[in-house]
Amino acid sequence: MPEQKIIITIDDEGGITAKTTGFKGESCLQAFDELLELEGVVSNVKKTDEYHQQQVVKQGRVQEVKRT
Amino acid sequence: MSAVIKTTTPFVIEPVLFEALEAVGAEPQRVSSEVLRSISQRNQIQADDILTNRSDYNGRQLFRQQGERWVLLHDSDEHFGSVVSQLSDRRYTPVSRFLSELCLGYEAAYQQHLDELEEQERIRLEEARKARVERTRQQAIARAKSQGYSVKEGRTSTGQVQLVLTRTV
Repeated sequence: MPEQKIIITIDDEGGITAKTTGFKGESCLQAFDELLELEGVVSNVKKTDEYHQQQVVKQGRVQEVKRT
Repeated sequence: MSAVIKTTTPFVIEPVLFEALEAVGAEPQRVSSEVLRSISQRNQIQADDILTNRSDYNGRQLFRQQGERWVLLHDSDEHFGSVVSQLSDRRYTPVSRFLSELCLGYEAAYQQHLDELEEQERIRLEEARKARVERTRQQAIARAKSQGYSVKEGRTSTGQVQLVLTRTV
C-alpha cells in the first residue's frame, strides 16, 4: 500500500516547515490543512519537482508555514 | 538676589531606595509594629517608614512615603546630629551632603533595577517562546495521531523539533 509521509520541522519560534511525499495532486495541501491550522499563516509554498509530475504515483509539495 | 537650587532625585521605588540607603551606610530599617512599640521619639514614626541610622533633635531621621515619593524627615537645624550605629566608622554628615550621596546611590541602584527588569523580561519572553514551540508540537502530534499517522519525533542537526508522520492509504 502506498505510504504518505509528512515531515514537520518546528523552528525556534514555533513556526512550521512541512514537506510531504506520497500524496496525489492537491491532496497534500489538504493534508496540511487537516493537520495544522494554516489559514492565513502560510508564508511560502514551494512546489517540488515531484509535484509537477502528472502521474498518480507520487506528488508532493514543500510548504513553509509561519505561525502568527 | 538670585539662587540656584537642585532638588533630589525623586525616590519613588522603595526597593531601590532601600538598596541606596544600604550603599551609603544608612543602615535602613523598615518600621514594623514591633519597632513602633520599641521606639519613641519627637519625630513620630509610622508603620512602613524607613528608619536610617542618622539621628537628630527629633530622633531618628526617616523616610516616609508622601504621594509617590519617599521623603526624608529630619530636624531642619540638624541639632544633635549623630549616627546611631554599631559600626564605629560611621560619621554624621549634613543632610544636604547625605542626600547628594544618596542620589548617586539611588541612580546606581535604579540602573541595576532596570537591568534586572530587562533580564526578567528576557526570561519571560524565552519561556513564552518555549511554550509556543511545545504547544505547536503537541497540537501537531495530537492531530496527526487522530488522522491515523504514526509519529516519530526527533531533532534536526540545529536542534529543532522534527516530526515524521507516516500512514498507509
